[in-house]
Amino acid sequence: MTKASRNYNYAFLDEGSKREIRRATLKAVAIPGYQVPFGSRELPIGRGWGTGGIQLTLSLIGPGDVLKVIDQGSDESVNAVNIKKFVGLCTNVETTTEAQRATLIQTRHRIPERDLEDGQILIFQVPLPEPLRIVEAREEITKKMHAEKDYAPLWLQLYESLIRYSKVTIGAEYPCLVEGRYMMNPSPIPKYDNPKLHEAKCLYLFGAGREKKIYAIPPYTEVVSLAFDDVPFEKESFEGRHCRLCGATNTYLDEVFDQRTGAQYHQCSDSSYCREQRGKD
Amino acid sequence: MTAALSKKHDFDVVFDSQKVFRLVLEALSHPAREVSILECARRFGGKHSALLALALTLLDNEVSFNTCENHQLSDDIAALTLAHRSTVDKADFIFVCNLDDLKDVIEHAKCGTLENPHQSATIVILDEQGNDVPAHRLCLVGPGIDVSRTVTASPALKQALILRDAQHYEYPQGIDLLFVSGKGELYAIPRLVRQGEVG
Repeated sequence: MTKASRNYNYAFLDEGSKREIRRATLKAVAIPGYQVPFGSRELPIGRGWGTGGIQLTLSLIGPGDVLKVIDQGSDESVNAVNIKKFVGLCTNVETTTEAQRATLIQTRHRIPERDLEDGQILIFQVPLPEPLRIVEAREEITKKMHAEKDYAPLWLQLYESLIRYSKVTIGAEYPCLVEGRYMMNPSPIPKYDNPKLHEAKCLYLFGAGREKKIYAIPPYTEVVSLAFDDVPFEKESFEGRHCRLCGATNTYLDEVFDQRTGAQYHQCSDSSYCREQRGKD
Repeated sequence: MTAALSKKHDFDVVFDSQKVFRLVLEALSHPAREVSILECARRFGGKHSALLALALTLLDNEVSFNTCENHQLSDDIAALTLAHRSTVDKADFIFVCNLDDLKDVIEHAKCGTLENPHQSATIVILDEQGNDVPAHRLCLVGPGIDVSRTVTASPALKQALILRDAQHYEYPQGIDLLFVSGKGELYAIPRLVRQGEVG
């Protein structure tokens, strides 16, 4: 542990803060999809930069953990590298880029390509936890709507999208119904990742620091993306495209432009998975 | 903290709390899966060591608790955590050491509201099952369980489920149950887990 980190409590947060976050986390697991309010703490980064996810990570982490942090699937982006450095500095835990080795994975906007296993915890950084915010601005009303399971405005929005554009135009943050009860915002993951939430082996935790909410999807929980009987849910299709680096055709692909030539490429969004595939060759 | 208690335990509030919390989280994520908090619980002396380890992990002055007239346990928890003593109907955490108290506790424990279901009680039950007790087979279903899980149920679990189901809570209202033995074995039954058909 460095000299600077010795001036702080283990995992930065004081024990009272951790305890409150832990209590909220347990309630969130007991009530899948329900947003549990908590007293979000000040951190040495701005709200909206992953403070919810960081607070969850800091309240969970211990000496035996192996941490992986990704941002849009990448281990090397600025947000991911800095969060990993920060948590490493105040806990001294081992960090990794391999999804299968990590016990805790903090993520922004993606779920790793590799299926996560029992015992692993995926922690999402969530900017806007409330799926009903797009149809109702007032928190007191959205709370009441959740209490009454009144999700009609969200269904209407989906219907209007179909009428206007002949397809559902929601790209990320595609709402889903958890265990047949709570409408949940799965954070801004692409639709491609929504099916991975359903009946997963791992535990998913969602932390929204600015909005002061924690919610969860326990393992083996029913998570159904919103869809009509005659218009089924569709995720992004990358048919006919492949990763320029590893050649994968079964992953979520990012579009990349070469500024000099103007050429357009695709490559795996999950940089660790892509590296792993190339290592196999 | 009472002088006697502070001499008795060497529970580390940072690292032991973290370990116990992660085990409770695992238990709650995988209902009826047994985890052991013995390593941390044995840092306390006495027959309520596992309950004290849980209390020091989860309670502080922001929450209230009740121990069903177990004054020694109540004093120890209050001294350790600074949590507020409260009546059964208002307590955030209820510690049940005697199964005779279970009926009253479950009938009166707060179950939250439809708007704020998290404002419900967590009931920690000391489950001391002897070898001479006849085993019951229970099939459990719900989130955290892959299809169904058949468990050998203690009388405490069987009784708690019957009493809980008799309350007919409207989900998301409900109570969450933690069962812990004197040996530190712990498992959880969150509100959505219910009895299924034994296959």
